Amino acid sequence: MRLLGRWLAAQVGRAFLAAWAIASLVFLLSRLDAAKATDLLLGETDNLGTAVLRADADTIQHQARQAIEQRLGLAEPLFYTTRTQQAGTVSWHWHGLHNQYHRWLVGLLHGHLGLSFRDGQPIGPRWRAALAYTIPLTFLALLGAIVGALLVGLVLADGPQAALSGWRAGLHTLLTGLQGLPLFALALGLLFAFANPDMLNILPAYAGSPDDEELWGQRALRLVLPVLALVLAVLPELALLLAHTLRHELSTGYATTARAKGLSNGKLLRRHALPNAILPLLTALAGLLPALVAGAVVVETIFALPGTGRLLAEAVAMHDYPVVVAGVLFTALARLLALALADALYAWADPRIRLVP
Amino acid sequence: MKYFWFGWLLATSISSCSLPADKQANSTVRIRWNRDPESLSPLTLPNQNAVDAATLLHCSLLQVDLSTGTYAPALADSLPRMQLLGDSLTHLRYQLRHAAAWDNGRPVLATDVAFTLKLIFCPGLPNEKARTQLGFIRDIKLDPTNPRHFTLVCRGQAPEFGFESGEFPILAEDALDSKHSLRQFSLASVATANTAEPTLAALAARYQQADLEDHSGRLPGCGPYKLAAWKKNQYLTFERKTHWWADSLRPAPLVLQAKPTKLHFSIIKDDATATLALRRHELDVLPQASARDFKRLQALAATQQRFAFYTTTSYEVVTAGFNTRRPLLRDSLTRQALSRLFDPARLLQATQLGQGQRTVGLVHPNDHRYYASNLPLLAYDLPQAQVLLQRAGWQHRPTGWTRPAAKGQSEHLALALRYRAEDPVFQTIALQFKAAATQLNIPVELRPTESSLLTTALREGDFDMYVRIQKGNPFAFNYASMLHSRNVQEGNFSKFGTPATDRLIEAVATAETPAQKRQLLQRFQVMLQQQAPLVPLFFLPYRLVTDRRLQNVYPSAIKPGYSAPTMTWTDAAPVLAQQ
Repeated sequence: MRLLGRWLAAQVGRAFLAAWAIASLVFLLSRLDAAKATDLLLGETDNLGTAVLRADADTIQHQARQAIEQRLGLAEPLFYTTRTQQAGTVSWHWHGLHNQYHRWLVGLLHGHLGLSFRDGQPIGPRWRAALAYTIPLTFLALLGAIVGALLVGLVLADGPQAALSGWRAGLHTLLTGLQGLPLFALALGLLFAFANPDMLNILPAYAGSPDDEELWGQRALRLVLPVLALVLAVLPELALLLAHTLRHELSTGYATTARAKGLSNGKLLRRHALPNAILPLLTALAGLLPALVAGAVVVETIFALPGTGRLLAEAVAMHDYPVVVAGVLFTALARLLALALADALYAWADPRIRLVP
Repeated sequence: MKYFWFGWLLATSISSCSLPADKQANSTVRIRWNRDPESLSPLTLPNQNAVDAATLLHCSLLQVDLSTGTYAPALADSLPRMQLLGDSLTHLRYQLRHAAAWDNGRPVLATDVAFTLKLIFCPGLPNEKARTQLGFIRDIKLDPTNPRHFTLVCRGQAPEFGFESGEFPILAEDALDSKHSLRQFSLASVATANTAEPTLAALAARYQQADLEDHSGRLPGCGPYKLAAWKKNQYLTFERKTHWWADSLRPAPLVLQAKPTKLHFSIIKDDATATLALRRHELDVLPQASARDFKRLQALAATQQRFAFYTTTSYEVVTAGFNTRRPLLRDSLTRQALSRLFDPARLLQATQLGQGQRTVGLVHPNDHRYYASNLPLLAYDLPQAQVLLQRAGWQHRPTGWTRPAAKGQSEHLALALRYRAEDPVFQTIALQFKAAATQLNIPVELRPTESSLLTTALREGDFDMYVRIQKGNPFAFNYASMLHSRNVQEGNFSKFGTPATDRLIEAVATAETPAQKRQLLQRFQVMLQQQAPLVPLFFLPYRLVTDRRLQNVYPSAIKPGYSAPTMTWTDAAPVLAQQ
């Protein structure tokens, strides 16, 4: 138990370290384009206006840019040191702790993610609000995909040992087809099938409801299509992998022995083959997070859900770098922790695997 | 039995989820927004939806009347009286309405306007954009004999000052500065103060603590609505105030009408989802519908009866531009020749399904006062392009078009065309231009560019040609941002400008009488066709679909393209009459 504790602590520590390194890199790179913040706040340059004709227009514009940089802390040096080159001589200048990176890092340690370039507001509450939508959505989708994959995997494997035939072959083909379908096509297909007056008009077209008095049942119905889209996006991969591994297990020696002893195919699958086939599934599950994050962008856009995927996609499109950096931090952290969790589950599922802190 | 109960539960949930509009509150209007307003702080207003929301919560001195397309008095009781002083100052005299009052009954006074202006110029607040727009206001003079009368002192002279000076939400002094500590400062001293000034720093701190970006309710406005709910990126609900000062005005001007008891704005980014939501009665108004969805809805028999369809020509013009600093494109004949390779008629059909309008220049074709209808529309004409290229000194050889350049060298006509990536309209235009150029043996390299990089590339002159949208309005005829030589570092991406054209642009912007403006704009449009630093291809349409029972929609070419506060349901009159 102590070993597991040490191992977990080491894994989590590594995950935090790696997430910090990735976020720092993105932070430093993004600040190279800090002029974008002033562009965002001062508006577009393609509008007609009188400001540009005034003699002091350049001064006013310059002062506004300076004020924004001052307010957002962009006037400070970017990092602890600056490299300058004059007349062929390279020199390094030390800025001390008064730099943007140090301020960001200290803020991060205190739980502050920084201010948005877009409206100068703290990013933390925005991410918390978005996570409140994305976590239930992805958790439900993950749960649905796992349960679905177990059921479908067992059904596909529970047949004649030769090639798949009949409805199982059809199901296999359907899953393969679903796997090849881009998520946006899948989500739009569901939308046009179940929320369309010309087809089945039985589910809401978008997840956000302006009615605060809406019953929980109606609210739950609004989540059906987004969750279903995400489940169908990840289920085929898991189910096909599980079915393949199960069929492989059924062809091994211990399965033949079990059958010779009179064990039914169903029991053999559930009691003996499934625990062995679960290992590759764990690896696939750990790798699922990027797919779910990418999927959340599409699903949240199509079904109008204000989750992290949409927040991140819009921040990237608007060059709101502090929001992007926070997103990178969350995603990297979640991904690394998922990998650590998968390793722990691996060790739990297969006692032959040893944990080394 | 259990299946029966399950079925009943499902059917009940589903039927109650998609209530038809008839069962909704009669005077509620549900409108689609394609993005969140992001901030409701009256100083920030980062996008059009934020501006529209601010109009519901607050009142400005002047507001746009969508029925006439002009500015009309809102808090002010009339348009400002303009007085020119010498050649560098303008005085604008405003009088506030007697009825104008805050929710607590306190009248809206000139001191509130002075406070709002000082807030806009106060250092340390997120007011840089507003400050830039109103930078021409140098001072405000209150009238000691009339608390509702004041004079704005403006630096410079331009007809547009008349409306630009009145287009900002007026805030209550008592809500943010109950001790009236800012009254000791003049506007100029606030503008030049630094962030460390104790009174101003305290005000900035109070403003930031109020967190008005997300909690607009902490700053009550004198607009007709209050914010009832806001779930970011999901929806906003505005509720009509039971007692609003403008209710007593007889007759109520259009800009001071507010009919619906509730306005719901659903944030739906995806066009297909929004269209389905409209068809399922989850929305009543679908602004800026895509061309394809608009046509499809119009074609469906089931939707024809239920919805009203409106199209107006917006003030957004799709424009191709040339980098006039490039040796290849320095002469106007080459630019004119290349202009003939665009086919605006077919492009309008292909990208907007024929909606929108072709144009001779940057003036809106429906502005009959100033639009030069005597000039020819740009037309696709390959033979004419060839002739113009030859007149510009280009010679057609098997390897392409060449002409002698300096130092005995020759230059080869080959172009790189930049446009914003992932925009099908720009992509279609670029492909059509390339196909036409290929027929003349002119190589064109298409460079779809991410929007931020595109702006940088255009500013730095890293392009031969570009395609983009230029946004205008019906009020200002100031083309300096895009064509004046002073702005080659900012919005004048074509880097065009000669002393003569600069003078013309300045004269257009400062013309005082309509006759003078008409004459100058005619010259400007002729100049634009002759010099061709940029080629306006067509004005984009605004498409609006609403429930047929909604009246007083006022579809408009001015953003947002409809008037939410004036909308009424044809069968909802008794409910509204009770307010």
